[in-house]
Amino acid sequence: MVGLKPKNAAIQINKTASDDAVIQLENVSTVYEGAKRTAIKNISLTVKKNELVYVVGPNAAGKTTLLETINGMLPTFKGKASVFGLNVKTHGRQVRCKIGYVPQDFMVKPGEPYTALDVVLMGRYGQIGFLHHPKEEDKKKALETMKLLGIEELAGRPMGKLSGGQQQKVMLARALAKNPKILLLDEPFSNLDPDSRGQIPMLITKLHQEKDLTTLIVTHDIHHMLENCNRVIVVSNGKITFDGTPEKALPLVENHPHTTSLEAIYR
Amino acid sequence: MGLIGVFVVRMRLSAIGYSMSHGAFAGAALGLATATNPLLTGLLFASGTAFIIGPIADKARLHADTITSIVFPLNMALAFVFLTLVPEVGLSSQVASVLWGSIISMTNTDLVYLVTLFATTLAIIYFVWKELFAIMFNRKLAEADGINTKPFIYLIIFLAGVVVTFSLKLVGGLLIYALLFNPASTVLQFSENMRKVIIASPIVGMTTTVSGFFVSLFFDLPVGSCIVIVSTIVFAVALLLSPKRRKEENEK
Repeated sequence: MVGLKPKNAAIQINKTASDDAVIQLENVSTVYEGAKRTAIKNISLTVKKNELVYVVGPNAAGKTTLLETINGMLPTFKGKASVFGLNVKTHGRQVRCKIGYVPQDFMVKPGEPYTALDVVLMGRYGQIGFLHHPKEEDKKKALETMKLLGIEELAGRPMGKLSGGQQQKVMLARALAKNPKILLLDEPFSNLDPDSRGQIPMLITKLHQEKDLTTLIVTHDIHHMLENCNRVIVVSNGKITFDGTPEKALPLVENHPHTTSLEAIYR
Repeated sequence: MGLIGVFVVRMRLSAIGYSMSHGAFAGAALGLATATNPLLTGLLFASGTAFIIGPIADKARLHADTITSIVFPLNMALAFVFLTLVPEVGLSSQVASVLWGSIISMTNTDLVYLVTLFATTLAIIYFVWKELFAIMFNRKLAEADGINTKPFIYLIIFLAGVVVTFSLKLVGGLLIYALLFNPASTVLQFSENMRKVIIASPIVGMTTTVSGFFVSLFFDLPVGSCIVIVSTIVFAVALLLSPKRRKEENEK
């Protein structure tokens, strides 16, 4: 299996996260409005400060629902969910101001009237406050974040004219521009070109450390698991079927290059 | 109309726009039937429609398509019932102005109302621009960034209702929504900058209205119909000339 073992552990991640619980779910079940099937069932999960968690699992397993429940986008769930001690159901907006979120498969069509800088700057809107306009320092922060991701030259370009990978980096910059405490990234590597696919996971790990973040990444790309995270969660059929270190997860997936196979392993 | 139309189009509230304009139409018809100021009753009906389509539909968990499909024909039905109750035989000039519009019957007071409304709408949009901009880009992402999107959607629905009511005399209740959507849809064919769209859309709206007015004078045709036909032709030409569309097709 190529690429599963750490070839170059250039980034040393902190494997001992502090004991502060940042995200806490207790017996959470979420049903999408109008849907009959429960997307996640009775999930209990604690994520501590500074943990970097990869969430893997087959398609339609409930990974996206898990992220959207944590950031309060699906407030009709059963059970208890809190972020930094704030009840997600009642303090959803305050919770979301602390979270940088990158949705799955987000693509802007050609011709849409937004530049890349517009999109990154929007990440700061929730914090700027009602009736206030973005200031020069907000724009500066947005440009700095774009520079960090190597996309500052895209700032003035229409979002719809960018490639899938470039758009994904813009969305990542948008999530980071708000100075989040938590990053929730839903398949942030799926549209990246091969070069970026190697760089971006490492860059996220670096930012995670430097900015003191707590990060959950939903991904099918488990090739950089060992170098880049300190915990792996497998979600299958709406339940957490594995929760442990990447070292323990890796032997189980070594002969299964696609996470879809994990369903069979952990069922 | 052209200004608020940008938000209605970009937030995909078109079906709601139809219902709002016909709500104002039904209200104005009630005004004529009861000898009340049509502007006042139009405003009441448009606001009522906004309230039903916005907060009440959300509370009842009704999909926008469902609620607009019910409210739209109801408003039309009420409008025609009220028009039959107007105490004059046949289509009086007042009824005709509500149905088809009558720019000639517009008074100086109407103009003052329209200018004040434009200035107020502009001021509101200026103050909540960042929220509206983020919602137009993607409502779900705006929510994810900590913006409570519902009040802003309701604001646009309500403003659309008010703007439609005050512009009813221009093209009439049956055609008014064309002035809400056509200028915005035309400008969106060209610009990749939302700020330019916001500035250009009312200009296109005004230009097509004035052009339609002169066409109606020249051919001695109803003003409202001519304005809508001109604005539709302008949209069709924009569609053909759109550099954005050409690029998309070349890329395919």
